[in-house]
Amino acid sequence: MAVPKRKMSRANTRARRSQWKATAPNLVKTVENGRVTYSLPHQAKVVTDSAGTELFLEYKGRKVADV
Amino acid sequence: MPTPTKGPRLGGSAAHERLIFANMSAQLFENKKITTTLTRAKRLRPHAERLITFAKRGDLASRRRVQSVIASRSRTNKSIVHELFENIAPAMADRNGGYTRITKIGNRKGDNAPMAVIELVMEPVSPKQAVVKEATKAAEKAAEATEEA
Repeated sequence: MAVPKRKMSRANTRARRSQWKATAPNLVKTVENGRVTYSLPHQAKVVTDSAGTELFLEYKGRKVADV
Repeated sequence: MPTPTKGPRLGGSAAHERLIFANMSAQLFENKKITTTLTRAKRLRPHAERLITFAKRGDLASRRRVQSVIASRSRTNKSIVHELFENIAPAMADRNGGYTRITKIGNRKGDNAPMAVIELVMEPVSPKQAVVKEATKAAEKAAEATEEA
């Protein structure tokens, strides 16, 4: 098995890691009951009651799954 | 006939993939709804829908074909085949394909795999679509008639 001969320098490690980048998700803007919400498209959304407790997942008016 | 899938088999080998699909479709017919990864759900869909098509045909030959897929290893799965032929197939009688629905439910905690719920579409076909189809056909006919005149 091939094994590294030399320790990788801190600079090289950090130079490599500097290329790791997070990408922003594409969100859709919808208005629900006069409130603007942003959510992921084509994906079930979590329905919450007024206290903020998570109830179930819903998509296009259908209950999909429990949380 | 579904389009052949590209790329490697699920599970590593063709035999393992067959077993995965057989188990998953049996569970789908038993529970009407299963949660799995999006990739598996997408690959399961043509397999499961083909079994439902056999169930809609309903004769002994097609029953044996479905049994050879679902219940060849486990006798208890015979009741699932019965459920498929007696309860699911009549509910799908008016539906021309599209027997399953896949809904994405976000990524799994742990390995961040995109998950989905695949379920049988058991609701009766909405009469609205039929009305719309008839109306468009009638409109087309009327348009043709006016062109000829």
